[in-house]
Amino acid sequence: MVRLPRFFGKKRGHRRTGSQAWASLGDGAFHALLVMAGLVFGGLLLSGLAVPEWRINHHFTPTTCRILGKGLLRRTSTEPAGGPTSTWQPCLLVRYEADGRSVESWSQPSRTTLTADRAEAIDGLSAWRLGDDVPCWYDPANVGIVVLERGYNWWMWLLALLLPGALLAFGGSGLMRAIRRWGRSEERSAVLSRFTDMLDPLASGPPRADDHPGVPMCDNLVNSPGTFLAYRLPIESPESWTLIGFGLFALLWNSVLTVLAIGAGLDVMGGRTDWLLIALLVPFAIVGLAGIAVFVRSLVLATAIGTTQVEIAAQPLRPGRSYELLLAHGGSGTLESLEMSLELEEQATFRQGTDTRIEKLIVWRKPIQSWRDLNLAPGTRFEARATVSIPDLAMHSFASEHNAVRWSLVVKGVPVRWPPFVRSFPLVVYPAEAAG
Amino acid sequence: MSFVAEAARSTPRVIVQFCRADRRYDPLDTLEVHYQVDGLEDEAVRAVERTVLWYTEGKGEEDLGVHFFERIADRQRLPPEAPTERFTTRLPPSPLSYEGVIVKIRWCVRVRFFFGGGRDFVSEHEFVVGRIPPARIPVAPA
Repeated sequence: MVRLPRFFGKKRGHRRTGSQAWASLGDGAFHALLVMAGLVFGGLLLSGLAVPEWRINHHFTPTTCRILGKGLLRRTSTEPAGGPTSTWQPCLLVRYEADGRSVESWSQPSRTTLTADRAEAIDGLSAWRLGDDVPCWYDPANVGIVVLERGYNWWMWLLALLLPGALLAFGGSGLMRAIRRWGRSEERSAVLSRFTDMLDPLASGPPRADDHPGVPMCDNLVNSPGTFLAYRLPIESPESWTLIGFGLFALLWNSVLTVLAIGAGLDVMGGRTDWLLIALLVPFAIVGLAGIAVFVRSLVLATAIGTTQVEIAAQPLRPGRSYELLLAHGGSGTLESLEMSLELEEQATFRQGTDTRIEKLIVWRKPIQSWRDLNLAPGTRFEARATVSIPDLAMHSFASEHNAVRWSLVVKGVPVRWPPFVRSFPLVVYPAEAAG
Repeated sequence: MSFVAEAARSTPRVIVQFCRADRRYDPLDTLEVHYQVDGLEDEAVRAVERTVLWYTEGKGEEDLGVHFFERIADRQRLPPEAPTERFTTRLPPSPLSYEGVIVKIRWCVRVRFFFGGGRDFVSEHEFVVGRIPPARIPVAPA
């Protein structure tokens, strides 16, 4: 008897989750659909565009023809919402010699002059004069088909390659992954190989240290030498991302607003006033101005507070050892307080409905050093040395596809007259070296 | 599937013995595992997979990393001809077992039996790598 896979499979504990077999089947069917769409779309583009164009450029026979007449080809279609609409294509009646006989045929002088404007279509014919002899190419398989221009439409070729190519690549890789996992246990599917990594590079999670599975690479932390100590740590500042976000919003919103405002202005100059558009532009303009104001305020905050740098004597760190630090802070003004601490944070990525959410939780914190009432002078920077000790039984840094345990040095400052700031400097802690 | 056929399925019982009674290991230690299976009735085992792996538990989606994997399809090494088996592997330096608040890392040995008709049965046995104390108390935001 053929058994269908169960819809529900029991996971660990008392939870029930979807069946892996059905999930693989659905995943495979979805990606197979994408592959099919890519093949059909690619086939249509190839047969309707690429092959005819390639034949014109490689198989058609060159000769000379005489222009005997001009005309417009009208194509009429009925729109669902309105009446019939027409498009116009300029055409030329030409005579040429093919296979030892004289042939007369209508030809479209250009493939790009299909237009809904009849006057524009007539203009497209003005460059051609009756009685002129011009080069042409006819189809040796059907001498009645003749063209007056050759060449490639590169945009169409690009579309023909890109769209089906993307569907085939995405669908094909997903289908291969589903096939690879079908009928296999999750342990067997999880056994990494170069081939599977190549097929599905995102599935293997963030880059890891070669000799320590599950520990993130620290290459990005050791590529910037410090001025006094070995390495300058990269900064992870939430304010920077907020600033970039505000800037992008202000730019995009006001770009759209400008385009709409120019359109409305041209209408007014032309004697037409679209009051609905102008009424819509007013709240849009208020939001745009508010976006600029928020961005400028964030920019002033980020630059006025000054930059923070942290240097460390070694990377990666090991539990039970101490490391020398250098904290430097530039800018001007007075800082009520400046403190540096060592933090351990857990990070979990999970799905809630169709959303992907990230939860972070600081599970351990140890103050390293703090300073009060710092007067910063322009052109100089505050510098202080400190020592950070990693506890003997500290958990090492860990990163997998959806979970992470992250160490960082966190600098918090409270300037006078400005909001407090937080700047984080990631660290990588390896496990303690084994005695053996 | 009829109730009779469902009832005819065996429910194997897998007894796993670790080389250390407390199942606590340090990184780079050698892990030696003996396992014995019984209760197979007359159901034929097509293959056995034995794996040493870590997986995550907690709020995030589950991740897993396989350290040791072996699939046995040779009839001479499958139950009932070979009801007991053993395997040995040297543990990696990381990741260490971790009992966090929203992220937990656990190590285990899984023995998975594949029967005719596509059915499989998995037995999971946890052990601990390293001596990291649990992170129980969340720190209030400063």
